[in-house]
Amino acid sequence: MKRWKRTAAVTLVAAAATAGAVGGAVVYFGAYDVTATSPHTTPVHHLLDVALTRAVKMRSADIVAPELDTAERIQNGSRLYRAHCAQCHGGPGVAPQPYALGLNPAPAALVATARMRTAAEIFWVTRQGIKMTGMPAWQYRLTDDEIWDVVAFLRVLPGLSADDYRRGEDDQPPATPLEKVQPAARVGDARAGRDALQQYLCVTCHAIPGVPGAWNYVGPALDQMGDRPYIAGVLPNTPANMERWLRNPTDVKTGTAMPDLGVSEQDAKDIAAFLRTLTEGP
Amino acid sequence: MRRIARPNRLLPALAAMLLLGACQDDKRPLFPADAAGGLREGADPDRGRRLIAERGCTACHTVPGVSGPPSRVGPPLGNMARQAYVAGLLPNTPENLVRWLMDPPAVNPRTAMPGTGLQQADAEDIAAYLVRRADRKARAP
Repeated sequence: MKRWKRTAAVTLVAAAATAGAVGGAVVYFGAYDVTATSPHTTPVHHLLDVALTRAVKMRSADIVAPELDTAERIQNGSRLYRAHCAQCHGGPGVAPQPYALGLNPAPAALVATARMRTAAEIFWVTRQGIKMTGMPAWQYRLTDDEIWDVVAFLRVLPGLSADDYRRGEDDQPPATPLEKVQPAARVGDARAGRDALQQYLCVTCHAIPGVPGAWNYVGPALDQMGDRPYIAGVLPNTPANMERWLRNPTDVKTGTAMPDLGVSEQDAKDIAAFLRTLTEGP
Repeated sequence: MRRIARPNRLLPALAAMLLLGACQDDKRPLFPADAAGGLREGADPDRGRRLIAERGCTACHTVPGVSGPPSRVGPPLGNMARQAYVAGLLPNTPENLVRWLMDPPAVNPRTAMPGTGLQQADAEDIAAYLVRRADRKARAP
């Protein structure tokens, strides 16, 4: 019995020491890839998602939402949203600003958030912010009442078409045009396209098989995109049409909720090449 | 790619479902899928399912629960409740879904989807089925 206990203790200590040494080595030698261009692996992404969802749910449980469905709140929320939120989160038919496209984790499309989370949860996240995500805490910039105004606007946001959203833009200055003019240097590369998906926030709106974080249903799911005959229900699915759609969706389909994201010619070729690999086959 | 991704997702997804399932509450999301209403009381999803088969929707769409050859001409319709927009244009509310089903070219003149000639009641039943169908298998957020 004693011998058994000693063996167990020694094993545990040795395992802990080894784990600590390996972990320490990974940190010390800079092996962990901290770049924003390399997404988390799927299991890590899921784990972080669950941790975030649970933390928000638990911590916002006692918050009681005030009356949100008043025109005044919604209007003020719309103003605040355009001033402080749309830069990173975008809106129907409106892309986030260039700096937001490179964030990792990607800023959520709030249409999806409003469809999944409660008023209290969204209030809490907006007020407290989320560590290491780029989501700032707004409690020092906005009053609680103003944050509730934003929540009230998010409550109607998923019901706005791209036109509705643009019409509400009263006297806001027009968004900076996103223009990329470098010509493509090579044929489309599926692997490069898979990386580019992250940098144009495709993942915040679409479900894409094999891409961590791409499990959202704001836009259509893109599984088997390589087999589908139409793009957006209007264009025959050819490589050239896919590039055209990716670069200028609003030209191809007036009123579409998919915004022009300033995709370069090369990136459009690469993304189109990646989408062609999504077929039913193994 | 899918083959590798699936098992990776399985374990955390399972853990997530258990965890979320254990403490499921009945609080409504900020913008619930049926937010704007629009379906009449008593829209009949089962009749909707039959109509989907009879009207030949499955010639272009894959619809879970309705048999037919797998077709990819139009998008698969297993996710309509989670989908944020109808045809990428209209916010996905039951009212807009019915509007689209009754006359797609009126919403988007260039769409590849033809006029369906569906009556309001038929479209509502079909919408009820599409929304319910996806509800049932929706993953907890």
